[in-house]
Formats: sequence, structure tokens, C-alpha cells
Amino acid sequence: MVERFTTDPIELPPRDRPFERADLIFYGIDHSGPSFEARIFVDPRGVGGDADSTHRAYAGNFFVFGHGGCFGDVGHCEISPQRDPFDLRPPHQLEPQTRIVTVTDSVRALLEREVEAAKVTVVAYTEGRASNEVLAFDRVRLATYA
Amino acid sequence: MSSASPSATLAPRALRHRRSARRMTAGQQADFRRAITEAQAIGDDRGYQRWAGIHGLPLPISCVHGDELFLPWHRAYLYFFEKALQDRVPGVTLPWWDWTNHAEGIPGPYARRKANGAKNPLYDSPIQPSGRTSPRQTRTTRSPGDPDELPSVREIDAVLANPDFLTFQNQIEGIHGGVHVWTGGTMGSVPTAAYDPIFWAHHCMIDRLWYLWQLRRPGAGVPASLLDRALAPFPMTVRETLNVTQLGYDYAASTAAAKGPGRG
Repeated sequence: MVERFTTDPIELPPRDRPFERADLIFYGIDHSGPSFEARIFVDPRGVGGDADSTHRAYAGNFFVFGHGGCFGDVGHCEISPQRDPFDLRPPHQLEPQTRIVTVTDSVRALLEREVEAAKVTVVAYTEGRASNEVLAFDRVRLATYA
Repeated sequence: MSSASPSATLAPRALRHRRSARRMTAGQQADFRRAITEAQAIGDDRGYQRWAGIHGLPLPISCVHGDELFLPWHRAYLYFFEKALQDRVPGVTLPWWDWTNHAEGIPGPYARRKANGAKNPLYDSPIQPSGRTSPRQTRTTRSPGDPDELPSVREIDAVLANPDFLTFQNQIEGIHGGVHVWTGGTMGSVPTAAYDPIFWAHHCMIDRLWYLWQLRRPGAGVPASLLDRALAPFPMTVRETLNVTQLGYDYAASTAAAKGPGRG
């Protein structure tokens, strides 16, 4: 778990291909711990530690409604790495989540500045907790829709 | 009647209306408080604690989040809880919390410690021992943020404009999580959230937004592959949640009624 993470540069769509909407799709988000807000910044160089929602690169946020820990016995919150295709039970409660954040205006603004690739920085924020090290996800994808 | 097109006009009987928490009449508020109070007094499977515990603790945690069944599961949950309240006070409905109205944050009926000189059961709730995440957590608490940080009408309009159900659901779930975090305290954590009486008003708002999305897109809906999925522990499938008319309710800002002359 980390408090903040900056991706490698993600290629932006070509300037001559207009789109109606641009989404950042975060896959594999861990939600086993406390609830938190993830603030998202999109910038060619990433952003520093003091960036907040007034920063030029701020693109939006998502919230994770967390489970706040495990309340069962040993192994209760472990997800089986393999799932039997004939297993009709509901998925494990802690299967990683996906979040979609629409960032159309941010991507358009970068394209107007002739930026071709940008890093995505995600900063976790937990109200009133000692540690913000609650962030974990597998990957993020930028998708545009025409 | 389309299974995905709610319509009060086509309802076979008079529907019950879920109303805005801020616009309930004094009598409606009193009836709802009485239903919650009576449900709190029952210790068996008809009581408030049992219903709150379905969402989180005691295990198993049955709620569905981050999943393609988020909206249908919570619609079923509200339906059966509302039925349990109607067993106590016939005709009561769950109010919805319009958190896009930033005038007061927590709506008045839920924010006051007392109502009509008595303890207000919408202000907080006991938490049964098996529902606590720590031994000291005997009652629900809140630590709400600045009302201006709640979702805006503009944000909701953008989400409602999404034509694809699964994307709409994902984004509305994200907004839903933000309101849980904004409310704070017991509401800020999956295992305990449903013990707070405002949980039900929050989820009623989420359900209402799905209803509004359905009204705008009568031809769109849940993917066919999900329609026959069960919504455990409720005896209901996804298909059976799609039409609120068939579930016997509709959404209104407010209602008031008077008797007619009768037909005799």
C-alpha cells in the first residue's frame, strides 16, 4: 500500500482525432482497508507532494468505500487465486474493484498545450487517519469515446 | 408494461411514494420515526439490527460493491427493509436524501438529537455487539464534512447522461462512496454503515438516480446476462428489481393527500 503513485507516461490521443469523452479507468483497486479519496492529477511531469484539487493538473477523484480490515478468522479475507468456472457462488467480497473517472476537460487541455503523453498521479487521502498508505491498484487505462 | 420502464400511470394500484427527507410533512416524519423506533425494539429477524447487519457485520458481509450487481442488490435491500418497516407502520416509505442540495448537509429530520421532545431515532442507532468493529462502538456516529463537498447537480447530470448501464452504475457507485466518506463515522466503513439511519436515505437517493436514469432510457438497461442472477440473501433476481412500479413504489419530491367523498 502506498499514499501516492505516479504512472509512466500514458500516450494521449492524436490531436486531430476529436472525442466526446475521455475516461481514466482504474483496475484492480484494493478496498480491504479504510475508506479513502483518491485525487487524480494528469500532467506531463507528474505533480509534487503539495498538489491539491486547485492544482492545474487536478483531473478528478474517486472514492473507495472500504471494508476497514478483516473481521473473520485467519484466511477469511484471502481471495482464492483460481476460480472454478462452475462455481456459481458470488465472487469474494474483496475482489478488486474498477473505478471510472471522466477526465475529458483535462485531456483536452493537455492536447491544446500540444502535450503528447502524460503521467497519472494518484494521491490517497483518508480523513482523520494517521496514515494515508491505503492505495493499491493494478493498472490505469485512458479511454476516449467518439 | 416494459420491465425496465417504471410508470406510475400504468400501475394496477396506487403506488406508495418515497419522498425527499427535507420535504416530509410533520406527520410523515412522525410515522417514519415510529416505524424505526418499533423496528429497533424488536430483537429477532424482523428488527432493525438484523436488517442493518445484512449489509455488514455480523459476518457474512452480504452487500455488493464494486460489482455489476451494486444497484440491483441495494434496490432489493431497500425494498425488503421498507417492507419490514411497513409491517410496523403501514404505508411508511423510505425518504431520500438529496445531497445535491448543499444548504444543510445532513437533512434536518436526521440531524436533530430530539424530535417532538423525545429521542430522535434517525439521529443515531445502537449497534448490536456482533455488529461492532471495536467493543466501544456501541452507537453510530457521524463526522460530516463541508456540505459544499457533497456531489453537485452538475456531477449527477454528467453521470445520468451516460448511456451504458455498467458505466453509469460504476460512476454512481463512486459518487455513493464519496457520500459515505463525507458522512464519516459509522457510515464511512462497509461493515457498520447500515446501522446509521441515514444510510437508508442515502441509498434511497442512489436508487432514485437509477430510477431517473431508467426513465430517460426506457430501451436501455442491465445486460441480459445479469437478469437472472440472484441477489442473495434476498429472494429476488436482478430482473425483478428493474421496475419500481412492480415493486409498488415511485419517487416524488413531496406528497399530501385528502379523502374523497367515497363511492357508496
